[in-house]
Amino acid sequence: MRETVHLTIDGCEVAADPTQSILQAYARSGAELTANVGCLGQGVCGSCRCLIRKDQERQVSTALACETRVEAGMQVSFIDHFLPAHVHRYDLSDIRDSWGLLGQIRAVFPEAAYCRHCSGCDRACPKGLPVQSGVASAVAGDLAAAAAVFDPCVMCNLCTLACPENIRPNHLGLFVRRAIAALTLRPVDLMRRLRDIETGAMTVEGPQPATASGEPAEG
Amino acid sequence: MTIQIPYAAALAAIASGSAPPVRSDDLPVETLLARFHPDHGPRARVPLRIGANAGDACHPELARLLESNALIDDLDLARATPLATDVLVIGGGGAGAAAAVTAARQGARVIIAGKLRIGDSNTVMAEGGIQAAVGAEDSLQRHFDDTVRGGHGRGEHMLIAQMVRDAPDVIRWLIDLGMAFDLSQDKALGQTLVRKRAGGTTAARILCHRDFTGLEMMRVLREAVELQGGIEQFMRCPAVELLSHEDGSCAGAVLYDLERRSFLLVRANAVVLATGGSGRLHLQGFPTSNHYGATADGLVLAYRLGARMRDLDSFQYHPTGVAWPRHLAGGLISEAARSAGAVLLNGLGERFVDELQPRDVVAAAILRECAEQRGIMRDGETGVFLDVRGALAARPDLLERDLVSLGHLAAKCGLDPRTEPFLIYPTLHYQNGGIEIDGDGATAVPGLFCAGEVTGGIHGRNRLMGNALLDIISFGRRAGARAAEARPPHAPGRGGLSHVHRWRRELARAGLPADLRAPQLYPTYGNFALRRGTTDRGNP
Ligand SMILES: Cc1cc2nc3c(=O)[nH]c(=O)nc-3n(C[C@H](O)[C@H](O)[C@H](O)COP(=O)(O)OP(=O)(O)OC[C@H]3O[C@@H](n4cnc5c(N)ncnc54)[C@H](O)[C@@H]3O)c2cc1C
Ligand code: SF4
Ligand code: SF4
Ligand code: FES
Repeated sequence: MRETVHLTIDGCEVAADPTQSILQAYARSGAELTANVGCLGQGVCGSCRCLIRKDQERQVSTALACETRVEAGMQVSFIDHFLPAHVHRYDLSDIRDSWGLLGQIRAVFPEAAYCRHCSGCDRACPKGLPVQSGVASAVAGDLAAAAAVFDPCVMCNLCTLACPENIRPNHLGLFVRRAIAALTLRPVDLMRRLRDIETGAMTVEGPQPATASGEPAEG
Repeated sequence: MTIQIPYAAALAAIASGSAPPVRSDDLPVETLLARFHPDHGPRARVPLRIGANAGDACHPELARLLESNALIDDLDLARATPLATDVLVIGGGGAGAAAAVTAARQGARVIIAGKLRIGDSNTVMAEGGIQAAVGAEDSLQRHFDDTVRGGHGRGEHMLIAQMVRDAPDVIRWLIDLGMAFDLSQDKALGQTLVRKRAGGTTAARILCHRDFTGLEMMRVLREAVELQGGIEQFMRCPAVELLSHEDGSCAGAVLYDLERRSFLLVRANAVVLATGGSGRLHLQGFPTSNHYGATADGLVLAYRLGARMRDLDSFQYHPTGVAWPRHLAGGLISEAARSAGAVLLNGLGERFVDELQPRDVVAAAILRECAEQRGIMRDGETGVFLDVRGALAARPDLLERDLVSLGHLAAKCGLDPRTEPFLIYPTLHYQNGGIEIDGDGATAVPGLFCAGEVTGGIHGRNRLMGNALLDIISFGRRAGARAAEARPPHAPGRGGLSHVHRWRRELARAGLPADLRAPQLYPTYGNFALRRGTTDRGNP
């Protein structure tokens, strides 16, 4: 017989098996689950954001509910998603002049230069990314460093919610990463194959018998 | 329940660390599949009784949903808020996002509707990568042949040929949107792409972004949708029924706005249905790797409107789902682990299958080991070992670079993959069949286009790793482009539920119950009822 822990999720008392995630416990409690859920455990969609206060603690922290195990006495509330009023708009295809990239970053994300180093974003990030330093790198023009910081970002937008300067750090990070890919990724093998196809040098004919190419049949 | 080898004994069997012995009682592949794959056997199929595919085989649990009544009535329509657009895209995964961006860039007004948030999808969860034949030794022809063969010769040749030809341009399109791919050589204007092998392919053809390719793809696509002018998003608004004109063509769809608890009636010149798969139906009690919204809604909606389906009795069970710990059961361990050299071991410490065979073969081989009591039991969960120790010993940096997600998963499981194997069991992963389409994603129903996992015919009866991410962008773009060209119908009319009325007569004639209603919208454990306080559950 497994033990049971009791916690509060969005105001409801929930009894749960301690091996469960908050999200599993919530679904099993009979609550209607139609939001703040996506990948349900993989921790990649960023939709299950919540605030957590642990038993006997004053500190409130943010987490992904599908990746966090339930604990006795926990208080959990989900943070609903909303479409922000202010969005940094840009069109990647406008940045054809890569010499101007640093200026573009400044133009699209002017607030980034005014980061007040409050570390709100770092504390909010459920993936433990050094968000603040990523913002600083982008502002300083160290684009590779900024791109590396945001590489594992799941776009949960918690850093955006936390930022008092409306910097939207994850969107800034994504902008930098997208610009780098769009402006510099030019693999020659891909370029060659695109040419092969364009010139008609390579085509597809219909199915060949599996053994014709000398490969073993797959079965 | 079958008796398995206890975990401790199984660990002892592999403790020596020397090269594991290989079992030599291979069955011919056809026999192995027939005896052990879940698509075979008495619970795997029934004939459909009504609709365009009457008489064709379908999984019984899916058939129940396909042969069900609509969730809504004319009364709901009368109360609904009317909206109009050029193109309505239903589903916010990779296929839907690609269609929406493409249609909007062609100047169409687009509404994209999703039942969760845009990006909460199977797409964001994909790890391994995307196929495109770019290697010098590789060719479109080989990609084609592998795909046909992988699908057991049942795929539609025209669709496959078009998709493999599209593939390099799909990668280029994604790069232009800002998606990054791993490079093996990174020198200015001499870069080459990292290419991985996958089960059932004759060349290294999987392109990737580390082992979270789907996350990289989806966050770029989501941002592109968000910033693209001409696209309006309706999230948390599942499609509950399509709309029809009197002539049977598609006129739009009815959405249910979960925030306001009210219906939206969206009229459109063309609808692109991109609702993905059906893993959350948990067919035959299997765990699933799929996201929360994978409940076959698109199949139900399209079938009721008259679209033709195929291969509705063919599903992919991914060989390596987590079996222990229980709370992560069904979660995927990417094929990338096996590509990198991980091996499968039974409770006797033996290898029993070539790990890079097609997925159905490997899954059936695992189910066989468990059926023949050579599986492993840990805390009541059954499976076999996926052993990454050797691969990590040979390449210690694997976890930092290529198998980042595997490292995270190991941490969640509370084990160290350098010293301990994973316990795995097949997991319901992919819907091979679906709605029949032509090269533009057009269906038998005028005005209704489909793209992505909701469609059938491309992967035959078994899909190769990396071909789904390719399919959703290749066909998503094409469907979006064609949908954007659709003109308003000649005899406008408002669009209504005439197809539902016809369907209800068919249900009655076939003696089928009228109180079973679908689409299901959320898994049973979502506790969702479209009409609160009545017994009229969306999910009977
Ligand atoms: C864990 C995992 C790993 C994978 N790895 C790979 C891989 O490495 N390579 C590869 O090629 N493929 C992989 N696949 C398969 C691939 O990811 C999917 O087949 C593909 O992404 C499906 O894309 P889609 O756009 O058709 O559907 P999805 O991405 O699932 O999107 C469908 C969307 O429609 C929404 N929806 C559903 N019903 C409704 C409704 N009624 N109304 C409104 N919206 C609705 C859903 O919520 C979802 O947002 C993987 C799949 C999984 C689950
Ligand atoms: S960087 Fe921001 S959006 Fe990304 S995971 Fe961290 S908190 Fe979430
Ligand atoms: S929350 Fe905003 S202001 Fe504070 S450190 Fe992060 S980016 Fe700077
Ligand atoms: S449900 Fe996807 S991150 Fe939690």
